[in-house]
Amino acid sequence: MSTPIIEITDLSKFYGKARGIEHVNLEIEEGEIFGFIGPNGAGKSTTIRILMNMIFPTGGKAKIMGMDVIRDTKKIKNQVGYIPSDAGAYSSMDVHEFLSYCIRFYQVKEGEQRIAELSEMFELDLKRKIAELSMGNRKKVSIVQSLLHNPRLLILDEPTTGLDPLMQSIFFELLRSENRKGMTIFFSSHILSEVQMLCKRVAIIKEGKIIQLEDIETLRKKQLKKISVEFDAQVKKEMFSIPGIERVLPGSENSLSFMYSGNINDIVSILSGHNIINLIIEEPSLDEIFMHYYKS
Amino acid sequence: MNHNLFLKEMKRNAFSLMVWMTIITLFISGTMALYSTFLENQSKILGMMSIIPKEALQFKGISNFDDMLSVLGFYSVNNVIYMMVLGSIFAIVLSSNILLKEEYNKTAEYLLTRPITRSEIFFSKLAVIFINVFLLNFVTALAGFISMELVKNGPFSIRAFLILSLYTLLLNFLFGAVGLFMSTLVKRGKPITTFSIGLVLIFYFIYTLSKITAGASRIGYLSPYRFADTNAINPAYSIDIWHLAYFIGISLLLIGISYRLYKRKDIYT
Repeated sequence: MSTPIIEITDLSKFYGKARGIEHVNLEIEEGEIFGFIGPNGAGKSTTIRILMNMIFPTGGKAKIMGMDVIRDTKKIKNQVGYIPSDAGAYSSMDVHEFLSYCIRFYQVKEGEQRIAELSEMFELDLKRKIAELSMGNRKKVSIVQSLLHNPRLLILDEPTTGLDPLMQSIFFELLRSENRKGMTIFFSSHILSEVQMLCKRVAIIKEGKIIQLEDIETLRKKQLKKISVEFDAQVKKEMFSIPGIERVLPGSENSLSFMYSGNINDIVSILSGHNIINLIIEEPSLDEIFMHYYKS
Repeated sequence: MNHNLFLKEMKRNAFSLMVWMTIITLFISGTMALYSTFLENQSKILGMMSIIPKEALQFKGISNFDDMLSVLGFYSVNNVIYMMVLGSIFAIVLSSNILLKEEYNKTAEYLLTRPITRSEIFFSKLAVIFINVFLLNFVTALAGFISMELVKNGPFSIRAFLILSLYTLLLNFLFGAVGLFMSTLVKRGKPITTFSIGLVLIFYFIYTLSKITAGASRIGYLSPYRFADTNAINPAYSIDIWHLAYFIGISLLLIGISYRLYKRKDIYT
């Protein structure tokens, strides 16, 4: 079996007594598009910042391409691209100056050509001062700088903030295309729909701990179902306080919906004791799955 | 050291360096242009100074009026504030911001994710501090030297001038090291420019206070200014090896600690 491109073992980070992340374990294989989901403050950026050696862990280890993220940081970064969630800018530089500055850190042949190609794709005006750019255009600059050196691994921290839907779609297509060429993508976001669109595997982080690590499809296909029922008369919500049923939400008049994890025959058997007008059993959306794991 | 980062930082600081060089050079040459007038009116000035309290003159760096009659004495008394105070402010502002600005401008996420080590970042930026402080000192000292050559009424000791310039340079370097050290202690990248300038002025105040207050002479040792001897017209004026060791030792110690701290610093943006 090949070495995982990212290998995180028992990684913890505390800010004094405050928790950043706690005993995080994660392995990401080369060639994956991996989603890292969690609400703000869950520990996504902390994990990424440790991987990029911006902050130091208080416990555990992290490796990229088999190399230690602290000791071998320079070697690692030669092959890693990074898009920060909210990076500032060298405001006195114009876009071309900034991208040239970035590319000079790498041994890249035909760097100017690469700058021109990517800037054209994202419709970037190379002569504009970075300070004058809108948030969306700054994000485009950030995307371009991350891809200049054709990295083997791309780490994205909330990368779509500020991008309009058209640019998002161009960006996602570019990511898919780079992934087909072999680039591994680590995609951190709290927007589940974009993770769903792009990623094959996902880790859910909650309060600094990984609470679920699954294929997107497996996650969907797990026993978790969304059930909406309409009865011919009013039923008490408390009647559904049984194991496996969660988030019971009353609907209009005699209907309600809930999430159910367990044997589907059991719930059908309970429901059969009532006069049902309508019953819908469906796959929950990723948002609902996420809320299920997050709330539990 | 990383050349790409070094060149970018040199370029980034070039304008500021030019402004500081111009201002200090103008101050020095402007003051030295008054030397001839000062000599012509020395009796009137002496009369005026006799009514000023001795402490006030000492605060200005004048312990003996005759010291100011020679061109080098006039230069050292009048220009110490420009070279030693303004130069130190330049050094501390530059050094306290050079690492920290990557944090508060949120550009650290671009710099630290390049194939560059913390050591390379530190030493590239340290080199920028050294070169900027050296260039400022070189140009302003040259301006001082040319001004003295133009207005002098007799020879002056070039050796003494060079020693005075060396003390100024070492003092500026030391404040550069202080600024760098302070910046590595700051968490979550907040600018410390005002505090840095205040620190230079406090040290200068402590030094002058120690000179004018007999009972407070010992507190002068708390200030680096105490170790930068400006009495250039004293025939015995020379480099004090202990003072030299003080400047070099403290600067190296602060740089060494700063390096250790920066290598393990959590950097947030």
